[in-house]
Amino acid sequence: MPLKFSPSLFELRDLYFSKGENAILKAVSMKVLAGEYCAIIGPNGGGKTTLIRLMMGLEKPTSGSISLFGIPQPQFNAWHKIGYVPQRSALVDATFPATVREVVAMGRYARRGIFGWENRSDKEAIEEAMEHMGVSDLRHRLIGHLSGGQRQRVMIARALASHPEVLIVDEPNTGVDVESQHRFYELLRFLNKTAHIAIVFITHDVGVIAEDISKLFFVNQTLLLSQTPQEILSCDSMSRLYGTPAHVVCHNH
Amino acid sequence: MEMLHYPFMQRAFIAGLMIALLAATSGSFIVLRRYSLLSETLAHVSLVGVSVGILVGISPLWMAVVASLIASWLIEYLRSVHGMYSDSVLAIFLSGSLALAIVIVSLSGSFNASLFSYLFGSILSVSSEDLMIMGGFGSLAMGLLIVFFKELYFIAFDEEVARASGLKVVWLNFMLVTIIAVIIALSIRVVGTLLIGALMVIPPVSAIRFEVGFFYTTLLSIAIALLSVVMGLSCSFFFSLPSGATIVLALLLFFVLALVMNRR
Repeated sequence: MPLKFSPSLFELRDLYFSKGENAILKAVSMKVLAGEYCAIIGPNGGGKTTLIRLMMGLEKPTSGSISLFGIPQPQFNAWHKIGYVPQRSALVDATFPATVREVVAMGRYARRGIFGWENRSDKEAIEEAMEHMGVSDLRHRLIGHLSGGQRQRVMIARALASHPEVLIVDEPNTGVDVESQHRFYELLRFLNKTAHIAIVFITHDVGVIAEDISKLFFVNQTLLLSQTPQEILSCDSMSRLYGTPAHVVCHNH
Repeated sequence: MEMLHYPFMQRAFIAGLMIALLAATSGSFIVLRRYSLLSETLAHVSLVGVSVGILVGISPLWMAVVASLIASWLIEYLRSVHGMYSDSVLAIFLSGSLALAIVIVSLSGSFNASLFSYLFGSILSVSSEDLMIMGGFGSLAMGLLIVFFKELYFIAFDEEVARASGLKVVWLNFMLVTIIAVIIALSIRVVGTLLIGALMVIPPVSAIRFEVGFFYTTLLSIAIALLSVVMGLSCSFFFSLPSGATIVLALLLFFVLALVMNRR
């Protein structure tokens, strides 16, 4: 009988990152497997966003190694397999001349290559991503004219247009109303459970997605915990990690 | 149409329309990146090249291309590698190059008509050799802009995600400033170093007012630039005015029209 294993999408080994004298991340080792739904939590300034930026190759580690889909990051070039929605991506200049369709189409650029014009499969992927995110009707609207929640969906549609195997989302709910947040969490659940896309999600609101996530990383300069949410989400452990009294409130939407 | 019977006007129109196409296309990217001052700065740097050219007797146009290219790479290097603020770097180069040009002109002891035509543009000054240089470099620049159009647009919209999706952003940024440096240096015959910034910035800024998405904004921007060049060159011919100034006034007319038609 063949061995069953989950291929690792991200593997970080003994990662250090500092800026000048400031150590931002120390000795971080972690793994994200195919199909997982991972949340990264931790206090502000704890290095969560830096960790994501290192994974995406936007920063270079001081030491340690990163592998993406089993390939060392410097040699990795299949970036279309990773959908990335950075922090505050929904905050767009109101006058920027970009229609929703043009923004979603950007998600295909990495696949198309330099001389690639938009072909039929690109068009289908763009339509599918807009349909998926419920923004097809907004295709001709300028991105800057949309509400925060609509823009957020457009940014996710852009990430989905490349048909990624993993979606990385960094605190996406900045400036977004509660109803849109609720729809957003439902969408992530759908993408993970139905479309089988692995999710790596930085959030402060872990209670809301506690039932969905399969792994929780607590990052505060180093990786303090990598456990299932049930193990970590207790008042005692959260108080210990944040260094201040914490009450865990789980709310189901 | 009588003016088109004159060979110098034919050359001026070919050069002007070529520059309008290039300046409006590349200008869209720098305007959206809040990097508009780049064109103004490189235009001043071109003046250094022109001054050196006049002083030592080498083609001022070639010298302008060389000076503009070197400055564009230095500016991008200081901005992207050393992380210096764009506006500060541009301010340093803008005033520094103007100072250098003034010193060189003073040393040569001649603030002559030739230099005046490089400052403000002159339809009489476009030679067949200039047209060939502009045609060669202009085709190359336009080819690169078309091939990398979508990548440059992605970077203008969201540089971080563009990098994360595997685009060679640093390389593409260097390529864009190189193209702009060449376009500016080539433009000085028709528009002049002091006014080329307007041809790069005003068409996209006017087109953005129509709120039509990037592709149509670029087309609209090109149309505004082409019409302005036709109007400006015609006025220059009929009223014996410097072509750079008349082109910029035509651009401003379109800008005011865009403002009036799209009041928010």
